This record gives sequence, C-alpha cells and structure tokens, in this order.
Amino acid sequence: MTETLGKTDTLVREVVDTTHRRPPVKRRPRPVAEEPGKRWLIHLPLALYLLFTIVPFYWMLVFAVRPTGSTQLVPWPISFEHFDTVWNDIGFGVFFYNSVVMGLGVLVFVTLLSVMGGYALARFKFRGQKVFLLAMLCSQFIPGAMMLIPLFVIFKGLGLLNSITGLVIAEVAFQLPLSLILMAGFIRNISVELEEAAMVDGCSRLRAFFAVVLPQLKPALVAVGSFAFIGAWNNFLFALMFATRQDKFTLPVGLSYTLGEFNTDFGALAAGGVVAAVPVVLVFAVVQRFLVQGLSAGAVKG
Amino acid sequence: MRKLLVAVAAAALALTACGSGDSGGDGKVTLTFWDNNGGPAREPIYKELISRFESANPDIKVEYVGIPSASVQQKYDTAIAGGETPDVGGVTTSYLAHLIGQNALAPLDDRINGGALKDKLLPSLVETVRQTAPDGKLYIVPSSANMDVIWYRADWFKDAGLEPPKTWDEFITAATQLTDAGANKYGYTIRGGAGSVFQLITEAYAYSGVDNFFEGGQSTLGDSANAELVDKVADLYKKATPEADINNSFTQMIAQFTGGSVAMMHHNLGSYSDVTKALGDKVAAIPLPVGPSGKRTVVPNPTDGFAVFNNSEHQDAAWKFAEFLTSSESNSYWNEKVGQIPANTDVRSAPWIDKSAHVKMALGILEDPATILVPAPVYLPQYSSITKADSEPLYQKVLLGETSAQDFLNGMAEKLTAAQKEWEERN
Amino acid sequence: MRTRTWAPYALIAPTLVLMAVFLVYPIGSVVYYSLQRYNVTQPWKNGFAGLDNFKQMLFDDPLFWQSLAFSAKWVLVEVGLQLVLGLVLALIVNETFVGRGVARALVFSPWAVSGVLTTGIWILLLNPSTGIFQVLSEWGIGSPGTSVLGNPDTVFDALVVTELWRGVPFFAILLLADLQSIPKDLYEAASVDGANRWRRFTSVTLPHLKDAIILSTLLRAVWEFNNVDLIYTLTGGGPANQTTTLPLYVARQAVDSHNFGYGSALTVAGFLILLFFSILYLRVSKFGSRA
Repeated sequence: MTETLGKTDTLVREVVDTTHRRPPVKRRPRPVAEEPGKRWLIHLPLALYLLFTIVPFYWMLVFAVRPTGSTQLVPWPISFEHFDTVWNDIGFGVFFYNSVVMGLGVLVFVTLLSVMGGYALARFKFRGQKVFLLAMLCSQFIPGAMMLIPLFVIFKGLGLLNSITGLVIAEVAFQLPLSLILMAGFIRNISVELEEAAMVDGCSRLRAFFAVVLPQLKPALVAVGSFAFIGAWNNFLFALMFATRQDKFTLPVGLSYTLGEFNTDFGALAAGGVVAAVPVVLVFAVVQRFLVQGLSAGAVKG
Repeated sequence: MRKLLVAVAAAALALTACGSGDSGGDGKVTLTFWDNNGGPAREPIYKELISRFESANPDIKVEYVGIPSASVQQKYDTAIAGGETPDVGGVTTSYLAHLIGQNALAPLDDRINGGALKDKLLPSLVETVRQTAPDGKLYIVPSSANMDVIWYRADWFKDAGLEPPKTWDEFITAATQLTDAGANKYGYTIRGGAGSVFQLITEAYAYSGVDNFFEGGQSTLGDSANAELVDKVADLYKKATPEADINNSFTQMIAQFTGGSVAMMHHNLGSYSDVTKALGDKVAAIPLPVGPSGKRTVVPNPTDGFAVFNNSEHQDAAWKFAEFLTSSESNSYWNEKVGQIPANTDVRSAPWIDKSAHVKMALGILEDPATILVPAPVYLPQYSSITKADSEPLYQKVLLGETSAQDFLNGMAEKLTAAQKEWEERN
Repeated sequence: MRTRTWAPYALIAPTLVLMAVFLVYPIGSVVYYSLQRYNVTQPWKNGFAGLDNFKQMLFDDPLFWQSLAFSAKWVLVEVGLQLVLGLVLALIVNETFVGRGVARALVFSPWAVSGVLTTGIWILLLNPSTGIFQVLSEWGIGSPGTSVLGNPDTVFDALVVTELWRGVPFFAILLLADLQSIPKDLYEAASVDGANRWRRFTSVTLPHLKDAIILSTLLRAVWEFNNVDLIYTLTGGGPANQTTTLPLYVARQAVDSHNFGYGSALTVAGFLILLFFSILYLRVSKFGSRA
C-alpha cells in the first residue's frame, strides 16, 4: 500500500509541477464516449437499463392521473381526482410535513455521527475497535418487527412516543451502523499523507480534517446522507407503531391507507406515490451531482 | 461550510423538538378513537359522525386515528403490550378473541342494557359477539355486519343469456361457460392468497349443508361433502379461473374483477364501494349458492363493532361515543355509505335499505327463518393461526394438485378438534 | 496512526450510547423470549421453555430448513446480480457523455421510492389484467393473462427482477462515490505502462473498490436476508411456501400466529447464522488489508 501511495505522491508532485511549467495537456486516457465506434458500449446497456427503471414510474404516473374507469395508457387527459382524494380525504399534507422533518433530522444526525465514528475507525487503532465493528454489524441482524414491543416500552419510558423526535432517534439508531461503516470505508480511501503533512505544518487534527479530508468527502457525504434521508422518508413500521395520534404519521402510513381490506384505490395509491416520490427524486436528482467530483479531482489540493 | 452545518443541525433539532405534547387541561375530555380500517373511503364518514357527536357533546373532543387494516392486529398487540391503548377502538370479531385474551377490553352488557341500545341490536350479531368471549359477555357493541356474496357481471350474464346461479352446480356451469381464455376472460376468480381459507370454508359449508362446526366435539370440516366442494373449486383453477389466482390476496383479486377480466368474484358487502366505483351498474350481487341439500347454511362474516378499552381513563365518555356511533341515526348513516348491514334494528325501516339491492338481499337472508347460521369458532385462540398461517400454503398445494382436498380438510379438522377440546377443558 | 488518545472513544461515544439504549435491550429481549413459550393470545400456556423452541425448530420443522435454504438462494442471487449490474452502471455513468446527469438521476431514482409504494407499483405492473403483460399481449407479444407470480416456475424470477429494480441503485450510488476517489493519474500511469482498458480496470479500479465491494455486499446481503416487505406483499411467501424466507416465516409466526416465543427462537437462529457468515466472509475476503 505504501508503495502505491508513494507512487501517487510522486505523480501528484509531478502533475503539480507540470501544470506550473507547461500549458495544460490532455492528461487522461480518452474516455469511452470519445472513442468512435465504442459509444454503443455505453449507450445501449444504459438505454436498456433506463427503460427498466422508468417503466414502473411511468405506470405509477398513468394510474395517478387517469380518471377512474379509464384504461388509457398515456397520461392524458389528466384527472386530479386521485390527488384530491389523497391530499384532502387522507390528509397527506400533515404526513408530508412529518416526513420532511423526520428525514432532515435523521439526515443531519446520521451524517454527523457516522463521520465522527467513521473517522475514529479509519484513522485510529484503538482497543475494542473490532468488537465495536462487529457489534454494529450485529445490530442489523434482527428484523425490526421483532424488536417492536421492547422498543415501544423504551420509548414510552423515555416519553418519546408519539413524537417526531422519538422517530428520528429510532431511525438514527438503526441506520447508523451501516452509515458509519460505509463512511469509515470512504475515509480510509482518502490518503492519510496529506493530513499528516498538514498536521506537521502545525494544524490540529480537527483543522486538518476540515481542510483536507472534508473536501474530498463530498461524494461520501452525499451518498450516506441521501441513504439516511431516504431511509427515514420511507420508514413505515416505526412511524405506524410509535405514533398514537393521526397527525404524527408519515407518508408511508398514508400510502398504506389506500390498500385497505375494503377500500383498494389504486388511483389514490399511485397519486399518493407521486406525492411521496417526486420530491425525493427531484432533490436527489439535484444532489447526486455532488456524487461525482469535478475534473480537478484527486489529491491536487493543498 | 462549517457554519452551514451548524445552522442546519440547529434547525433540525429545533424542528424535531417541537411537535409532541398533549393539549387539554381545560375541563374537556379528549378521547382517542382508532379506526380499524383507515382509508380514504371511511375516514370522511367517521369525521362527519365525530363532528356531529362533538356538537351534541361540547365537553368531549374525539381524536380520530386511522389504522391501515393490514396492520391493525399488530398495532393493537403492540399498543396493549406497551400500555398505550385508545379509549375507543374499532374491532372485528375475527380478532376480538385475541384482545379479550389479553384483558384489554371492558365488558359492555350493563352499559348496553342500561341505555338506548337495549334490545335494539340484531340478535344474530349479538350472539356472534358473545361467542367470541369465554364468559359470554359482550366486549364490543356490534355496529355492522357483512355477508358473503358473489359479485357478478350482470352485463356478461345478460349477453350470454344466463341467469345468475342459485345452486353450486349452476355456478360451475356458468363459470365454465363464461370463460374465454384467449380473450383473457374468466368465469370466476379464486382467492388463493391471504384470506383464502376463510372464504373457502364459507363456500364449503354453503355447499355441504352441514349445520354445525362441531359434532360431539369433533370438527365437521373434514366432512366428505365439504371435500366435494373444495375439489370442485380446485378443479376450476386455471380452467375457468386465471392462473394468477393462486397468489390472490384481496388486493389482487379485486384488481382482476374491477379490471374486467372476471365474471364472478366471491367476497362480501364490504367491497361494494370498490366494485361499484369501477363497474357501476354492470355489477350485481347474489348470495352464495346452495348445495344439493337445498339448505341455506351461512357461515357468518366477522362482525364489526366498537370496544371500550380497560386502560381508558374516560370510560364513561368513551361509552357515550361508542353508543352514539351505534345509535340509529349514525348507524344508518355509516352503513348506508359503506353498504353493509346495520346492527341497529331501528335502521331496518330506513328508506335507503329498500334502494340498496344487495343490503336488502343480505338482510333478507339473515332474517329468513330457514337460514341456518353456522358460526365459525373464532373464540378459539388458535383459530386464526390454524386457518391462516398453517392452511393457506396447503390450500395452494391443493390448487396445484399436490395435495388432495380431503387430506387438506382432515388436517385442519384435526387441529380444530384438538383446539376445541382444550377450550372446553379450560372453560 | 497509532495513538493513545481518548479521541477515538469520544468520537464513537454518542453512537455507543444510542446502540446501548436502543438495541441492547430489544436484542436481549428477543433472546429472552426465544427461551420462553410465549403466545400472546394463550397466556395460560406461557412459561419457561428452555431449549424446547430450538429443538422443535431444528428437528421438527421442515419449513425452517426450507425457508433457510430459500433465504440463502435469494440472497446469493439478488446480491450477486445487484452487485454486477450496479458496478456496470457505476462505471457507465462515471464516463462523460451527453445527458449523463439525467441518466445518473434516473438510474438512482428507484432508491428514493418507499417500500409500500414499490410493492403497490409492482402489484399493478404484474397484475395479469391491468399490468404490463396484458399490454404486451395486446401488442402481440406473449399471451393474455400471463401471471408470473402465480406460476411456480416463474415466480422466483419475477421476484428477483422486482427486487433488482430497487436494489441496483444502492450499489450504483456507492460504487460511483467510491470510483471518485481513485486518482485519475493512476489510470494515466497504467496507460503509459501499456495497459488496455480491461487491464486498467482489473489493476487499478477493482483493487481500489475491493473494500467498498466487500462491505456493501455484506451489508446488502444482511438487508436482503431480513427484509420481507416485497415478498410478503407480492406472494405472501407462496405459492405453497415456495418463496418463504426465514424472516418471512418469523413474521408469520410472530404476527399472524401470535407465537412470539417460537418466532424469537427463529430470529435468534437467523442472528447466529448471519453472525457466523459475516465473520467468515470478512476473514476470507481479507477485509481491511490493503494490497
């Protein structure tokens, strides 16, 4: 490993030197998309997969906007009756708000705690490290349904029932292990040399973290943060079981109303689905840009 | 960047911290009411009734909580184990025994008899509710009953020149005749997934004419006439029914019927709003056909009602609300909207009953002296696990031809007999 | 970096507290109940059962072994396919081409959709009369009324595809993020050394992704093992228990049959199995050691 790192370091210095001495030269191997004749290697599988991804969404959209009784296959003409059912009769507005608040809360705390814990795992060797890792892995081995009643009792004792705070805490506890382990992996991938260099120069470890590690951690933060938010957004079981008042339910609970024993309203389910999925998909679409660092990526900072 | 992070974290904390906490403390009583079948169809009905109740009782506020029906048992179990039950809850007799067994509900006999509902509830429903309790008391006040019906496509029948079937043999003939697999049209759809066996049992007893679930302590489920029916139904699978049936839960079954590929579907009055919304007046209902014996033996559907929970701190107010919900005006309103049988006998003379063909038909059957009710032993705690978790996969094997109907029924019968014996010993 | 500071402990402290409060007691209680006869609706039968539940499970319950075998098959197939497809997609959207932002957003989007909604959409899609097969048959492809979920021969494949739809983005997202941290100059160095595209992939990309792949497959495998919502709603474990995984069996025991004691025993069995395989997997794949 030291060997590869050393090589990178040398390369880094070379690149930095060259950019100062010579005009920029195309440095990377040509990406596939620029090679003629090879473009189909990207476009064909991608197109096929995109078709696979889109068809279910399209189906949902069609069902959401078509009037009851019609069998049209295109989303035109549009009828808003299902959205009306879902927003007014079921009261999706409140559920939406709860989901957003819960999602944000989980996002912040999971990201924060997983960066902290991930850094500890990645940069330190401390006693009990392996046990800690294993313990966190183990927490994922039990299905949530089996822990409902003990969790309910704990929440009741702590006065956290029927509150979004309680839901956030529960969701964070369950999502943290995965996020922490993932974050540790990402941090480990960031070369330690630059951090050490910064500390040798007089930075505290904390400053070194913010100056060196954090900028490179952006894709990881986006990945872990979005997993956390989406996990919280889609949580059904805890939201249903730990709330005893209707105004504390979240979107997935609202969605499940549409599939009752005596009222199966696929139009409402689809419309509810559009309400639940579209905002997240849109935000995600914007945010995923940060999953990919720009062309100035790599260890050229500092 | 750091400042931004801190700001976001602070905002998140602030948002999550607010939003809990109870109101009240000004002399008003706040009741929580759990609807056991929350959804867009039912919620507006309850909301209307609640607002009527609150106007009539200004010092009581009712909070409505809708529970999705698929998770309601789990929700009740968790709530009871955790000590957070509502004041009033909707409960169906299919899981009433479980709640009684956990000592969660308050008996209502004295309250019913001491109030406006005395002698006003349909005797057959009251009897069904009593049977679920070891001490024979009423732990819910029945509000609504259902009955098995066959929803059928009146337009298809008319086009084919067929009369809706009255006997099971006519039923099978009609199903076969109306099937055109090439055009994706089938005569019948079997509920082969979740909830399959309960419906199958009602069909079997309707056919066999056996009038009791237990004969001398032995389960009659294994009767050869019952097996005959199961054989006939299994025979229809894939020949007059879609292949998908084997997995059909209610959701999938009704999607097929309302989607227009099936001529007949066995369910109950409860799906009235779904089928009419999709098919309008193309659909009508008939009772389950009778068998060769000509006797009309009906296994009653679970009865809906309202329970007052033991842990409630406002039991008098809770009862007031439950009583209000089953008073003749509310009961009529609710059942008319939902299309089910009202428990309050005063509603019998309401004009909407005459106009609602299927409710009228169902009531007619329930009131007919020739109808024999064969109540299923829902008081047995193991009843649902015997007829659900254990048997549903086995029924699928029967449909696939891997097990015989008789063996299947015998297996269930044995377990039921054992459970019944245990029950009798304990009581 | 070996340090003797309190820093790492301080960093993991909040996590430890959360775990201790919210996970230790529930897990402990599952273990406790696995040693009890505990049926919520027949409380007169409750009592200490010692290892009876486990004996019944191992020797008297063919469904336990069947569901375990199916769980293994399910996890292997799902995770394997998700990994391969996810990796391919990550590599594809890592390249520059017109519209790649849109493509990326679309590829990742199934991840954003709730479980309840996913199952609802697939019920509609796979429904023989209103679903995609009906539409296809109207266009002349396939026969009307095809039911992939009802046919024992096709039900497994259908389930695999539906779970793939929402599982692939997980890998695609993670691996793409990880691909970002490979210094581009490593590729140049390899290319200068005369390596072609495939060699660059195997000598630069794969080793760098190794740890991420090991971790994500393990975590995803655990998740797929324990998560039953899709199967529960689409087939209920049928037809005839054919698609019943161990956790699905647990759910039916604990929730439908109210047999919490036995359900807990099954859960403990699942827990031990997962633990054993995780440790084995991590050892064998030499996780944490760098090439």
